This record gives sequence, C-alpha cells and structure tokens, in this order.
Amino acid sequence: MPERVEDLFAEYAAAYARGERPAASEFLPRAGAEAEALAGLIEAFLARAPAPVPDETTVALFESWRAGESPLLRLRNERGVTRETVVALLVKALGLNAKKEAKVGRYYRELESGSLPPERVDRRVWDVLANALGARVADLAAWRPRPSAFEGVAIARTAMAAASIEAPATADTRADAEKDEVDRLFNVAPRA
Amino acid sequence: MHDARDVEDRRLQDAGEHKLLLAGYFHAVRERCFLRLRDRDAGDEAAQRVFERLAAELARGRTYPVPFRVVVHMVTDWTLRGFYSPVKQDDSLPEGWDPEAPDAFQHVDERLDLELLFADLPSRQRDVAELLYREGLSHDQIAARLGVKRNAVDQALHNAHAKLAEKLRA
Repeated sequence: MPERVEDLFAEYAAAYARGERPAASEFLPRAGAEAEALAGLIEAFLARAPAPVPDETTVALFESWRAGESPLLRLRNERGVTRETVVALLVKALGLNAKKEAKVGRYYRELESGSLPPERVDRRVWDVLANALGARVADLAAWRPRPSAFEGVAIARTAMAAASIEAPATADTRADAEKDEVDRLFNVAPRA
Repeated sequence: MHDARDVEDRRLQDAGEHKLLLAGYFHAVRERCFLRLRDRDAGDEAAQRVFERLAAELARGRTYPVPFRVVVHMVTDWTLRGFYSPVKQDDSLPEGWDPEAPDAFQHVDERLDLELLFADLPSRQRDVAELLYREGLSHDQIAARLGVKRNAVDQALHNAHAKLAEKLRA
C-alpha cells in the first residue's frame, strides 16, 4: 500500500538533514501513484536545503565517483587497508573455510574492479565490507563502472544476445548444485 | 539558516579547497539530476557535467556575487536543460541564461532559501524544523533541547512538513 507523500517527504528530508544521503530512487516507489508529487517535493527541497558538511567518507566517495573508480578501491586505499586484509576479514566474518581465501580474493578483486555485478552479491558480504571500510552498504553497492560510448553499445549488445539465449534449466540446476558457499555469496557460477 | 554554510563555502573557495567545497553538494546534485531524468546513469552523466563545469570555473579563479549554493543550483538547472527529461518541470532560470555572462549570478533567487519557507510557521514548528534541518538533531534530541515531550516534536514536525510541502508545491 502506498505511503503518504508528506510522510515520505518528511522521512527523506530528516535523513538528509542528518547527512545520511537518502536515495530518492528508494522513496519514489513507496509513493505509488503519488511518486511524481513526491519527486517534485524532494527536488524543490534539495534546491533549498543547506548542504550538509561533507565528512571524510563523503569526500572519498565523491572523488571516486568523479574519477569513475570503485568506492571500494578508493576507500581501501584511503584507509590504508590492503586487499589481503579485506579478504581475510571476509573469510573470518563470513565463517568461511580458510582454504577458500584465494577464491574470495579473486572474487573480491573482480568486485573492486567492477567486473562482478555488485547487485548480485549477498548482503552479508556488503555488510562486512561496509564495516571494514567505514562506509554504508548503499554507497559501496551502488557503484557501476562507467562505460565509454563504445563499451556501452558493446555491453548492451552482449546483454541482448545473452537475453536471447535460454539456457536449459538442467544446466542452471547443475551449476547451483556445484556452487560452494563462496560462489553463493558472490553469486558466481562455479569455475574450473 | 544558510549563513553558516555560506560562510564556510566562501572560506573553502578562498582557501582553494575546491574538493571539499564540491563534495558538500555531491548528494544533492546527484539526487536532483536523478529526479529530473529518472535514470541513474543519465542522472550521473548530468551530475558529472555539473561538477566538471563548477570545478573548471573554480580552477580558473572565478568568483561569484552570490552564495555558492545558488551557483550550484543554477548550473544544475542549466545543465539539465541539455538532457531529455521525461518529467515536465518549471524552470527557475530565465530563458537564454548564460553561465558565462558576467552578470550570470547577479541576482540571488530568494526562492532557494529554506529559511524563507519556515518564516511563516508558528514558533514551535519553526524551532523544531530549524533544529532538524540546521543542526541535524534527532527527534529525541530536539525534544531534550526544547524541553518538550517527543510527541510534541513529532506533532510539530508533522504540521511543519505539511505546510512546507504545500509551499514547495506552490
């Protein structure tokens, strides 16, 4: 059931005032048919409200966004944390077998470089990363590598081609059965 | 309400702390671009252009006769004009506005001041709204600061937001 526009606006505005960087994209669907009205209110508010003083994390996120870099990479470097440390934290915090550290490291590297789709990665992974890097999950998980015009076309064509191929259901089932805990956390098909 | 922030913006500009100055507007600009274009990638592209322009102007040593927040707002609106928007919006910029013109930022748009929207609120609602938006206090902290019950803060904010929404729609 859609929520009242005034209540959603108040929730957004209060979070903004606290420096929490609320995402309008998460609020609009909650307004149902009144989404347009809510969008207008939020935009008018943002044009008038005082900008919160940016903290260190916001500055780092801003810098990485401008450079088209992964916030994971930027924050890790800013905090002086090695990739190995982050991987070790993931293994420990997620209760994984220490023998899987190399695999976690490979997937983490792909996540950091943008070659692993962040939206498919389990929330528990993001929670550990956000905690380790002193950021919020939403700030880390929202990043996508910025495609160049050529790459954009190539990616779109690849996606269309992939969508047009229907894999047999048995293949999915077999792949799921072969996934280990690390594959499932990063939502990656098992690799040789 | 904007005074302290405007002073800080001016200090950052004078000190050449452009990264910090711009980072303060990161979220607001990005959100406004998304809200206008309703697409995160297109919104990010527009927001990138806003910050590229602002950064270039700051690097050139451009100064503005109005608070930096007004500059950010106007450049954002101007940049968004170059993008297809599925949403019809009233544009606050005059037709043919040119950010390069010497008097481009001559006139402060008073509609861009939240404090003016609060001016007509009853005193309790105004106090509560200012503590929330100026200081970012939680409802409980506001109640403690004003020496009232949490329910009174919630009620005052509810009424203030209803009036604020009404004025923002106008």
